[in-house]
Amino acid sequence: MGVGFVVGVLGCAILVHAAYSTIQYRGVLKIVEEEFSGPPMNVVAELLLGLALCMWAGLAVPTKFLSILPDSEENRIVSLPANLDFMIFNHRGKVLPTNTELKLKVQDF
Amino acid sequence: MVVHEDERASSRRLDEDGDDMPIFNSENFQINMKSIYYSRTFLSIIGGVVAGIWGFTGLMGFIFYFLIMATASLEFAAKAKFSIHKYFDSWNRIVLDGFLGGLMAFVLFWTFAYDIVHIF
Repeated sequence: MGVGFVVGVLGCAILVHAAYSTIQYRGVLKIVEEEFSGPPMNVVAELLLGLALCMWAGLAVPTKFLSILPDSEENRIVSLPANLDFMIFNHRGKVLPTNTELKLKVQDF
Repeated sequence: MVVHEDERASSRRLDEDGDDMPIFNSENFQINMKSIYYSRTFLSIIGGVVAGIWGFTGLMGFIFYFLIMATASLEFAAKAKFSIHKYFDSWNRIVLDGFLGGLMAFVLFWTFAYDIVHIF
């Protein structure tokens, strides 16, 4: 979270600097009375650099992807609740197959 | 007799694979979808600012938007280490979802930046 944030702010600062450079460039063009065809090469390079940094920040700052498979390592429920008095383990679940490829069937009753 | 029918019916159902759904952890799935949504919105805004500063007008700007979104899709696939089925249920989620959602933000910031840099 920290590094991505700093990179994002840096990218935005570079973009602001590129905008300021382009405004000054247009001022110069107005004096020389030429047409604006495109920002100068260094401003284009700055824009691409700022874009790349912001793209990297845009991916790093939001939370990383969490696995959605129910049988992956980090999705295991490994803690029992504190109150075990009302938990029953001798129920009919023991006849269920423990096949992890078991899928939910669409039941049409 | 009812038990027999049930057994035969259930074994028939186990054979057909057309209408079953894989189970997955939907809470993590929603977290992943929100993460993609935030990323796409942020990238749309940044893309709009860059398009405005660069001076794109008309069709070029929209082409730039689609380029940004395509790059974003590629980067999401890379962030998921290309094993999409571990984090999402289909490729459509990272490639097509939210593709046009950031268009409004893009056009807004594009116009904004273009006005600031080129007009005033």
